[in-house]
Amino acid sequence: MIYIFDGAMGTMLQDAGLPTGACPELWNIERPSAITAIHKRYIDSGADIIETNTFGANRIKLTHYGLQDKVALLNSAAVSAARAACGLDTKVAGSVGPTGKLIAPLGDLTFDYAYEVFFEQITALHSAGVDMILIETIIDIQEMRAALLAAKSATDKPIICQMSFGADGRTVTGTDPVTAAIILEAMGADIIGANCSLGPAQLLPIVQKIASATKCPISIQPNAGMPKLINKQTVFPMTPAEIGIWAAQLVSAGARYIGGCCGTTPEHIKAIKEAVQNLSVPLLPNIQQLGKATALTSRSKTIYLGAGYPTAIIGERINPTGRKQLAADIKAGQFMSVKKEALAQLRAGAHILDVNMGVPGINQAAAMQHAIQELSMLVDAPLVIDTTDPEALEAGLRAYPGRALINSVSAEPERLAAFLPLAKKYGAAILCLPIAPDGVPNTAQERLTITRRIIAAALEAGLRPQDFVLDALVLTAAADAKAGAQVLTTLKLYREQLGYPTTMGLSNISFGLPRRDIINATFCAMALASGLDAPILNPYDSIMQDTLAASAALLGNDANGRAYSMHYAPNSPLQQSVSASAPTNIVEQIRYAVISGEKEAVIPLIQQALTEGIHSTTITEEGLTAAMNEVGIAFGSGHCFLPQVLLSAETMRAAFITIKQILPAHTIISLGTVVLATVKGDIHDLGKNIVAALLENSGFTVIDLGKDVSTETIVQAAITHHADIVGLCALMTTTMTQIDHTIAALKAAGSKSKTIVGGAVLTAEYATDAGADAYAENGVEAVTIAKKLTLAK
Amino acid sequence: MPIYNPALKPLNMSEIKRYSGLDQYTDFPAHLLDNSCTESYLLAQPQATWQIYDYDASTATIMGSQPLTLQAPKIINYLSGAARVVVVALTIGPKLENKVSDYFISGEYTSGLLLDAAGTAAVEVAADQVCEFIKRQAAQQGYLSLPRFSPGYGNWDITVQPLILKLANAHEINLTATDSCMLLPRKSITAVIGLTANQNDSSVGYMYQDTTCPQCPQINCLARKD
Repeated sequence: MIYIFDGAMGTMLQDAGLPTGACPELWNIERPSAITAIHKRYIDSGADIIETNTFGANRIKLTHYGLQDKVALLNSAAVSAARAACGLDTKVAGSVGPTGKLIAPLGDLTFDYAYEVFFEQITALHSAGVDMILIETIIDIQEMRAALLAAKSATDKPIICQMSFGADGRTVTGTDPVTAAIILEAMGADIIGANCSLGPAQLLPIVQKIASATKCPISIQPNAGMPKLINKQTVFPMTPAEIGIWAAQLVSAGARYIGGCCGTTPEHIKAIKEAVQNLSVPLLPNIQQLGKATALTSRSKTIYLGAGYPTAIIGERINPTGRKQLAADIKAGQFMSVKKEALAQLRAGAHILDVNMGVPGINQAAAMQHAIQELSMLVDAPLVIDTTDPEALEAGLRAYPGRALINSVSAEPERLAAFLPLAKKYGAAILCLPIAPDGVPNTAQERLTITRRIIAAALEAGLRPQDFVLDALVLTAAADAKAGAQVLTTLKLYREQLGYPTTMGLSNISFGLPRRDIINATFCAMALASGLDAPILNPYDSIMQDTLAASAALLGNDANGRAYSMHYAPNSPLQQSVSASAPTNIVEQIRYAVISGEKEAVIPLIQQALTEGIHSTTITEEGLTAAMNEVGIAFGSGHCFLPQVLLSAETMRAAFITIKQILPAHTIISLGTVVLATVKGDIHDLGKNIVAALLENSGFTVIDLGKDVSTETIVQAAITHHADIVGLCALMTTTMTQIDHTIAALKAAGSKSKTIVGGAVLTAEYATDAGADAYAENGVEAVTIAKKLTLAK
Repeated sequence: MPIYNPALKPLNMSEIKRYSGLDQYTDFPAHLLDNSCTESYLLAQPQATWQIYDYDASTATIMGSQPLTLQAPKIINYLSGAARVVVVALTIGPKLENKVSDYFISGEYTSGLLLDAAGTAAVEVAADQVCEFIKRQAAQQGYLSLPRFSPGYGNWDITVQPLILKLANAHEINLTATDSCMLLPRKSITAVIGLTANQNDSSVGYMYQDTTCPQCPQINCLARKD
């Protein structure tokens, strides 16, 4: 049977006289008969389920009207008003809308407070006797998770979860329908769907995608087309007849519950009813194709594990065990190194990231929550929460706006008792690790038996077949000659007898052996061929990367070896672009290194040149300075660009430092002293810093006064340092007049310094009017001008 | 309005190159550009807030509790068809720009320049994400969102910044202005977004036309396209 929801409430309330800006839910107690009359019209039009007038009846939304203490009253009255309109067959859905705020770290609302707010409202709806809860128009999956968790605690009634998607097929915070459906079904939603934001045409592909990812019934409540503003009124243009046509298509795509959102009226509902009442529920084959695959998701991405899907690499590097610096950073509450590891592993080819915060002596729950929040903002890869601490596990699962994998659940009773309910509550998948209270099983058959026990306990706790990933348990080959073979047999038994996706931490196999990278990679190839779906490994290992690429081609996950060929084909354009003719003379090589900006290369060249007895002045003048001059000319003629000039300057700096280290007495004759500053009131210093870098590495002594520098300070420095040149920078129209003041003050103080000015808003004309000696358009030109001015003095 | 801290979408590498002065130049060490991109993900902490006000086009006034009457012709023209305006404030925080300064101090000039450019790209990407959020919300009421227009665009004097910050409630994200009207942290923007009922508002085209590089007086700008 297809069930029909009602249509819009807001439009009907306005038609009934609700003033603009008034609280719609207040009518539940002030004019309940008007609310009942609206419900009645929808029921008369064919609605099987009506929605209470409680969309904004949560504490946060009601605060706008000073009604935050009337949550229970307004929700209860709404249910009464709805019930008064119902016949025997009509159901009442308690409408729960968004808070209007985003949950941290996307916004400033805490997850726990959002949960409390939803719990309060849903408890009131449940107590007042609704038949189901409808959480709707949610744009952020984390807010939906908070609401769904609250609903699961507050009521035993069916729960419908409807997200709002945009025309790009995602919520504005990035969640796609497949990901949303996987997360919400796993957390226990009874019906999953979408409403608002879009008309039925745009919602059709969204229904199809949801249908491909969940066995839950689908509900859909489109707007009456895309709105327009006419005479200051929001108008939804779609006619009842048009929406009726679309309704049939939505049902064919998989919708079992259908109604209307903004702009729909009793006439639209009547048309929908007439269009779909004789349709049967379609059989949807797509979901069957998933087989025993297990899906993991982040907020915005889903990865399926299992036979028939590409190998998913789980990066193991966010783990402080044996890594002092990472452990120290986590202990200090610093997560920069955790974030760096995440980005680096993804760049190295990982698809999923294991997160372990196992630092002794810290609050692991707080650390896990922090890490998960940081990573969920940084990467779109699904996460694995790797902990033995139930509190840390719950903190991580609660904070994660996706469906995580729990690493791990063994057959030990206390682990089963603590972890399985959390997996169920938060909709996580579990990594089944075949370790029992009586020890570690050596044989494949024993591992299979223990894993069956874990699965049985998990199913008993309410988990589903699509919640499992099986670990083959890798022991050390150096300690047990059959360790590798037992793992391979375990993988085959898992595939043949259970069929769930498989994983394992690879590197334990090579413990105690030399060249562990060779053993690990070889073992990985064997395991992939035996049915391994998601190895946990170090993605930086280059032999492992080669093995994975080759395995993908050999196992049919890289069609025709295309990706393999792209990566490994010889004579790539990059290789061909390397210059074939580098100079052989050492000073020439230094000059070449500076021009090319090869900082690492110049240091041994300087060392070699000095060892060969070449005078430091020769190196400086014929190698370094000559190179910078060439770079300056190339820049001026448009043949090289600022970042390259800076690379050359860095290389110069490295060269000077090397000379100074080897010959401490070596002095470079300064071309002159330059006082540099960004003027008072201006906080931009990038350009000034570039000028300083180039002057310094072209032989000038630079006194850099920084940014937002007062006229008095600049004048004082010019006189104190007997500056040959004062360089002044201003970036904004609001501060460039400080250039005039400063130049005037320098002259008034009797300074003999020449002045060069520059900055985005300045021009040569302005510089002349301000009394400057020169205007420099860029850093390279500043060096050229500085040389001319000092020569002229 | 909510605080929205968008999770940064991928940065546009060609924009980073443009902001750093490399423009279309291809033969530059890719790892340096990649590093700047990665670092900006690590250091940028986008935060945004905004408020929506009625707009009286006849007097060019944003109807906040302290109404702001606009003076600059181009912003007035841009908003000529708007019924409401959204006043937005956004920052990526101080961490990235502090790291740029550290790079220059330690002599890693190129990394400093490229990270600064990546920071600018990050501000733009985050601002686009916030605009998309606003656009979708406005569309639900039938409004068309015009492209954002910031103080400094089209000769709209930046001395308006303190008032714009106040209208956006920017204190909620710790975004302030100096006495000389520069934003602190520097890697930040403020902007107004016109909301118009007219789906074919001519100021959309006008806006793009008028603020592209050829019309800009900053002829020495590194990122200039012409």
